[in-house]
Amino acid sequence: MKMKRSTLPFAIGLIAALCVWPVVRTAEAACGSVTCFVVIGSQQQVPQAGLLTFNTIYNYTPMRLLDGTNGVIPAIDQANRRLILDHHQEVRTITQTVNFDLNYGITDRLGIQVTIPYLWRTHKHIDGLGEEGENGAGELVPFRDNGIGDMTITAKYNVLPTLRSMIVAGFGVQVPTGSTSARDAAGELMESPTQLGRGNVGLIGSVYQTYELIPHRLNQFFYGSYRHTFRNNDGYQFGDEYNLNLGANGIPLERAPWLILTGQFSWRYLVHDNISASLERSRVPSDGGFPGETILLDPAILDRRVPNTGSTYFAFSPGFQVSLDGLIDSPLTRMTSVYFYSQIPIMRDSNNNLAQGISYIFGVTRSFQLLKS
Amino acid sequence: MKRTYNKTMLGLFALSFTCVLTSSLVWGMGSRVPAVGTTAEDFRLVDLDGKSQSLSQYRGKVVLVNFWATWCKPCTTEMPAMQATYDKLRENGFVVLAVNELEDDAKVREHIKQHGHTFPVLMDRDNKVANQFGVFGLPVSVFIDEKGVVREYIKGGLLTEQVILDTVARIQKPEMMKAASLQ
Repeated sequence: MKMKRSTLPFAIGLIAALCVWPVVRTAEAACGSVTCFVVIGSQQQVPQAGLLTFNTIYNYTPMRLLDGTNGVIPAIDQANRRLILDHHQEVRTITQTVNFDLNYGITDRLGIQVTIPYLWRTHKHIDGLGEEGENGAGELVPFRDNGIGDMTITAKYNVLPTLRSMIVAGFGVQVPTGSTSARDAAGELMESPTQLGRGNVGLIGSVYQTYELIPHRLNQFFYGSYRHTFRNNDGYQFGDEYNLNLGANGIPLERAPWLILTGQFSWRYLVHDNISASLERSRVPSDGGFPGETILLDPAILDRRVPNTGSTYFAFSPGFQVSLDGLIDSPLTRMTSVYFYSQIPIMRDSNNNLAQGISYIFGVTRSFQLLKS
Repeated sequence: MKRTYNKTMLGLFALSFTCVLTSSLVWGMGSRVPAVGTTAEDFRLVDLDGKSQSLSQYRGKVVLVNFWATWCKPCTTEMPAMQATYDKLRENGFVVLAVNELEDDAKVREHIKQHGHTFPVLMDRDNKVANQFGVFGLPVSVFIDEKGVVREYIKGGLLTEQVILDTVARIQKPEMMKAASLQ
């Protein structure tokens, strides 16, 4: 009892400190576009047999340039297989996503999850540096698109089912359902990284672990994932992605078990993207004929690492979850909870590209017992 | 290109290896549901009065081992049915062992007192017995016959007075018939 008294304030402090952990799933390339991702628990766990958990998650992820960076990056012209160095200057990307996530327990240990994202993306960059505009300053080109992104189907297995702990191993396949043919305001095919889909299959391996430090009061969790996406038909391959997340959920008030505070730290590492293309560069004043046509450096179509892609991101995400089931006694609120998280960057290395700013996540979870176990 | 391919393959291999290794390591740690028809493994736990009680001491009776917690709504919902059948059948070879999971004695005692439960309440403080019976969600009810054999394993808050009465009758019937035939 003594121990518990001294542990509780610390535990509550820890929860408050760790309060939500979003992980970020990024598709960054010549023009960056990131989708924020949060570990919610009901998404990562295996539901009991016959239980369908439905999550609807909205997230708002802005990306801007960091101080001390100018955002001058290469252009990707996947239609003509060209990689043009220093041809774009990034301004802003805002991605809003609604993920419809279905998680079903086939048995008490085996589950299947289907995630269908719907995205709204706006992007602004200056196109044609050294080639167009007054003094080769380029032209501001906006881009806007919305639609279904790449669906993910994941099989999950609970390898350590006990009351206090859980370890879930997952293997997912990302299906290329998102469009890769959107065009910008100038009518040009938008670069691969800004498209809603990646254009080819991706494989995702993941591990989720949770342990009740104080039973039904404070639990710790860890999530790690690795994604590999294959090269698409445009010759573009998104870099591999590594995610690590560590966080905790806690009930601060025993009299209000419907309120859960949560916090998580997330670290994401993205490997450089790659494109099969020729290599060119923008003209600079010392080249003569400035502004003018780009200069061909290597006409051979080779697999080339895309500069200014790849990034490292570390963030802290506080948030809370409210179990409506415990708050309001109604059939409408049964097995339903809502949650809100914000993701605050702590460290960002965006490689002179756009970097993710503070993001917000809001969601609703509802479970339906379809079959009695 | 070859180098990138090799890196990818290495990454995939490392991931697969880690998954397999982790799975193997934790495989033995997970709880296992006892198969119906097998003998229930014995356990010994302390009750709310501090007395040690074991499953084997109830050999010769039909035992309902119910895993529960005060925060678990389906658990507390089915407890009045357990109390009612305990009151009806305790003189006829039936006992309820309510195994509480990971809670304070004071909280459990208060709950039991408030609801007037009289069946034995055992404290599974380190979650050991729950793991022994493959419990990773609450409530779980295990019906064990007079010989210590698992006869029913019920997950979720599905117990009603009628379900308990029917299950006990079904378990006791062969023994009663056997006893009758001997007479």
